[in-house]
Amino acid sequence: MQLFKTPHINFMKYKYVALAFSAVVILAGILNLTVGQGFKLGVDFRGGTLLRVAFARPTSVGDVRQALGKIGLGDASIQEIGKGGREFQIRTQLPKAEGEADKELEAHEIMASRVIEALASEEDKLDIGRGLKDLNALDETSLSFLLEPAVPEDAAAYAREIAELRKNQGLILDFGEIEKLGLKAEAVAKLREKTYLGSLSPLSRETVGPQVGADLRKKATLATVWALVGMLVYIALRFKIAYGVSAILTLTHDVLFTLAVFSFTSRELNLPVVAAILTIVGFSINDTIVIFDRVRDNLKVMRRSPFEDILNASLNQMLSRSIITSGTVFLTVLALFLFGGQVINDFAFTMLVGVLEGSYSTIYLSCPVVLFWQRIFKTQKSPGKK
Amino acid sequence: MKKGLRWKIVLTAAILILAVVLSLPLGEKIHLGLDLKGGIHLVMQVVTDDAVNIETSQEVLRLQEQLKKKDFAFTSVTNPKIDEILIQGLNPDQEGKVKDLLDESFREWDASMGADRATLKMTAQVNQYLREQAVNQAVETIRNRVDQFGVAEPTIQRQGGIGGERIIVELPGVDNPDRVKNIIKTTALLEWSLVIAGPSPDEATLLAAYGGQVPEDGRVAKADPKRRSEGVFLVKKVPTVTGKDLRVVRRSVDEWNNPAVAFSLNPDGARRFETATGENINKLMAIILDGKVQSAPNIESRIQGDGIIQGNFTVDEAEDLVLILKSGALPATIKYLEERTIGPSLGADSIRAGLLASAVALALVVVFMIFYYRLAGLNAISALVLNVVLIVACLAYFKANLTLPGIAGIILTIGMAVDANVLIFERIKEELALGKSILASIAMGFKRAFSAIFDSNVTTIISAVFLFQFGTGPIKGYAVTLVVGLVANMFTAVFVSRLIFDLTVSGKSRTMSI
Repeated sequence: MQLFKTPHINFMKYKYVALAFSAVVILAGILNLTVGQGFKLGVDFRGGTLLRVAFARPTSVGDVRQALGKIGLGDASIQEIGKGGREFQIRTQLPKAEGEADKELEAHEIMASRVIEALASEEDKLDIGRGLKDLNALDETSLSFLLEPAVPEDAAAYAREIAELRKNQGLILDFGEIEKLGLKAEAVAKLREKTYLGSLSPLSRETVGPQVGADLRKKATLATVWALVGMLVYIALRFKIAYGVSAILTLTHDVLFTLAVFSFTSRELNLPVVAAILTIVGFSINDTIVIFDRVRDNLKVMRRSPFEDILNASLNQMLSRSIITSGTVFLTVLALFLFGGQVINDFAFTMLVGVLEGSYSTIYLSCPVVLFWQRIFKTQKSPGKK
Repeated sequence: MKKGLRWKIVLTAAILILAVVLSLPLGEKIHLGLDLKGGIHLVMQVVTDDAVNIETSQEVLRLQEQLKKKDFAFTSVTNPKIDEILIQGLNPDQEGKVKDLLDESFREWDASMGADRATLKMTAQVNQYLREQAVNQAVETIRNRVDQFGVAEPTIQRQGGIGGERIIVELPGVDNPDRVKNIIKTTALLEWSLVIAGPSPDEATLLAAYGGQVPEDGRVAKADPKRRSEGVFLVKKVPTVTGKDLRVVRRSVDEWNNPAVAFSLNPDGARRFETATGENINKLMAIILDGKVQSAPNIESRIQGDGIIQGNFTVDEAEDLVLILKSGALPATIKYLEERTIGPSLGADSIRAGLLASAVALALVVVFMIFYYRLAGLNAISALVLNVVLIVACLAYFKANLTLPGIAGIILTIGMAVDANVLIFERIKEELALGKSILASIAMGFKRAFSAIFDSNVTTIISAVFLFQFGTGPIKGYAVTLVVGLVANMFTAVFVSRLIFDLTVSGKSRTMSI
């Protein structure tokens, strides 16, 4: 089976349109980053606390914000994650003036605890007031300790079963669910007496202090710089100057374009996103290399043809490969984006944008740049050593 | 069968069997990262200045003693910087003799003499050694505490190798982060110091009798708000005994049956304790933990080397205090720089999501490849499945953690690895279109696509290597799976895929399903 018999699309015809398009997107991105809102740095890079919480009953970003407003954190970044309005992601940040660097991490921790307290429902607060413990938050050891007077022999096993239930289904909504585990009646009675079912539970809590934030920023920058340098060295070894310059411009374009698109979303820049961008750069350079490889072959076969035709022919010959490869990667990244869960969603989104961008930049950017270079410098055409 | 084929089959089969053996049973061989398993990730810094400071303070005391013993005149010995000692008011006539003393008994210090003063600077070597020791000791102490608390498979390591002042602690499956954090962080510097004055409601009242100045042999200690004691105390600067003098500690109860910690001192400590209590009957003795007074009981009689520490302890708190006292004090303060707690249910969710995404991705690619390349697609899929098996085996062999980004790396590999086959198959199609025979087309396809395959994997590996170098936990997992996946791809897509063609396509075939 074949996608196209032998396509004859004149890609090079659209080179100016493409250049203009890229320029517009990148300029808009740069404007957005400098004059506009800038990057929303995640806790990895900026420091702060990232809380993920699950509620027993669906609620809304507005309600969460209102609850946080009562403790002066109404401006925290709040995002709904997962299905059914039950899971939220909250990022808080200490104002710079408050707390010196040393104490900052503890201050964050205290703030995170305050957030959880503020989100507790009125019933929860009453139950806490009566000295009850939250069954959805109690650790296994304490749970076993609590059950010991009622069922001395089974306490540890029961505690493990309850912890397992919580792990697999999340919040326990009803004591009925515990009865279904087949525990002895005394144990359930004890739990009803001593515990309540809290209306929310923290899923994760990540606090990054200012030093580590600065450190991670530095590491991400170093990883990016070194990866780019590595690719430049590779490109320099592999290609003659026109192709090398083109590959470098394509690579720069890949980074800028992806960042530009990213800057217009509400997503935060974090380590996985940087990893995604670097992967994209590698992937896009592959694409470019495969095309240039073909150009090298075609220069021997089509000696008489104008250079622009050779480029076009190479792009057309490799078109089905380009589409299939980008297509399979796109499909897998799409699966990751749709089903991979919230934790990895920013990564998947960046990859999704990048795969499309990478295919586009190879066709509409790397080849035209080589052409311009040849026209200006009238150098040898061959991509070089092999 | 051609002769060359036989060893290729044997090699491939051997690798496949080895990979399967290495990775089974999956649950045991594959270590899940914290983001999938749930647990705590802590990055902390050892404030090694503390260790240097303690050494300098002790040397100040020793220096004073020595100067007095030799009857050298001086007005004061202080430490203006953490690694510097300043002697003032020396008699210029004794300069030479003082210099001799310093050179002889204080070899770890570089002494420089002024007219009536001497400055001692800690040598860089000693400074470095103290800091190094402090971090090593801290790692040991933390390991001790974590082991005693009973965490399975903890990771405790220094960051940045030798000279690094950071410690990373990873505790999988821990579900009570606050308690563990507290156990790790408590310095556990326990001191028994005689109370000079107090308790008073605040510092001003306390020091009123001393003209608002802290006397030279005293220091101010506040009561721990978590305990029953209240107020501010003026206590002796030099403690009577410290945690180092402890022989045994265990959880116990006080006379009202409240949780408490019982202790016995070693012979040397017991002697000092007995003398001090005997001389100070009806005064208070403060028990100070990390600078905070836990309790300050009245000394009713001469006490030998046993006693209890009271405070408003819960059972857990008393137990934790015993644990940290047993494991010894940390040599320096510990500061948390980063804390990540992942709940077990989020980890379970991530595993489910990761598996679903992998399955969907694999299914999409399988359907597409078979639809587009027919039998040859099946060939590519076999290579791909072998690729995934090899990634899993490598993770098991190197004991690398599988993280959520690691799963993403595997999913990406599924998408990218078929590229090599696509390059080869497209080339074969072109050769077939030129009218070459099937066998020749296959041979040419593999031969001519190889440089593109090699090139295209190298760039991705370059970025992954630097991500591994600079990335943290989960990102490292991503880099590992990506690199392993791409390297394995060179083997599966080129070698194994060719082998499958060689086995299935004979020279007699007229058409090829591609």
